Amino acid sequence: MFDFWRKKRSASVAKDRLSIAIMSDRGGRDIYPFMEDLKSEIVEVVKKYIGVRGIEVKKEIDGNFEAISIDVFLDKTK
Amino acid sequence: MGIVIAVISGKGGVGKTTAVANLGLGVAMNNKACAVVDFDIGQRNLDMILGLENRVVYDIVQVMDGEATLKQALIKSKVNDNLRFLAASQIKDKRVLNSKKVYKLVKELKDSFDYVILDSPAGIESGFEHTIEFADAAIIVVNPEVSSIRDADRAIGILDSKSQKVKDGGEVAKYLIINRIVANMVQSGEMLKSEDILDILNIKLVGKVPEDSGVIDASNQGKPVILDKHSIAGQAYKRISARLCGKKVDMKDVEVSDSSLFKKITGIFK
Repeated sequence: MFDFWRKKRSASVAKDRLSIAIMSDRGGRDIYPFMEDLKSEIVEVVKKYIGVRGIEVKKEIDGNFEAISIDVFLDKTK
Repeated sequence: MGIVIAVISGKGGVGKTTAVANLGLGVAMNNKACAVVDFDIGQRNLDMILGLENRVVYDIVQVMDGEATLKQALIKSKVNDNLRFLAASQIKDKRVLNSKKVYKLVKELKDSFDYVILDSPAGIESGFEHTIEFADAAIIVVNPEVSSIRDADRAIGILDSKSQKVKDGGEVAKYLIINRIVANMVQSGEMLKSEDILDILNIKLVGKVPEDSGVIDASNQGKPVILDKHSIAGQAYKRISARLCGKKVDMKDVEVSDSSLFKKITGIFK
């Protein structure tokens, strides 16, 4: 039953998994050309209502789904 | 004019503060004037590792706010006259930092020391960004373990986009320290090899530090492990410090344990 795992040492499993995870992490940073515009427009909209400290936009791929996750960090002092 | 090195990791608990303490002392032992600065506002720790927690009077935030001069706040190391330490604030929030204040402080330190080593907070939040903002170089500390390496890559990404040097069209030099290497696990294929880690992160290696129980013993006493002549981690930090001071020191292969080397040698005679 555990033979499958024995065939491949865990360090090489780690390397494969890491390479894929990091590739997708890096891709999320600037994969779309409109990313910077999108960010500044969202910040402008949110700013109308509450202070904004920063924004982070990530592309996430999960199976067949592709999603953009947007985190807006609020600045409550404003 | 000195060089400013930010020590970063992404993930916490990989030995960043230990690295700062030992590299700071190591650089000082190479006869360079060195300042180590704790940028982890709200979670002061470097003072404990250096054994200077009882001497802290003024902290970094008080200096930035003009409540104390840099000279008043810098604490002299007990073991080396070339080393000075600036403590993080324990009570204030990390949001008190702003670029203008950080720039002024870093500039003042750079003018009076050969090496200024900044201990960054873990994570990739504002405290981290301020630490790397005006650094000339960064040392990234990782453990040979997936979450540490992944987080380090994210921290490197932010370093590449937020550093003032990069914004000015330059480049921040980046060096990797792989900490807590267990030789026999690497040999048996259960721990990532340094080549694999370098492949993935694509930066230069400045040193490998083996796992060593002496590190905890050293932090218990507030005496950086580099002072312990018998410690293998201490020796690794000595080599890295010398490299930082421009000396050519061969990369010792800490991924081969002495026992497996011994086996190989005895194997020849069998």
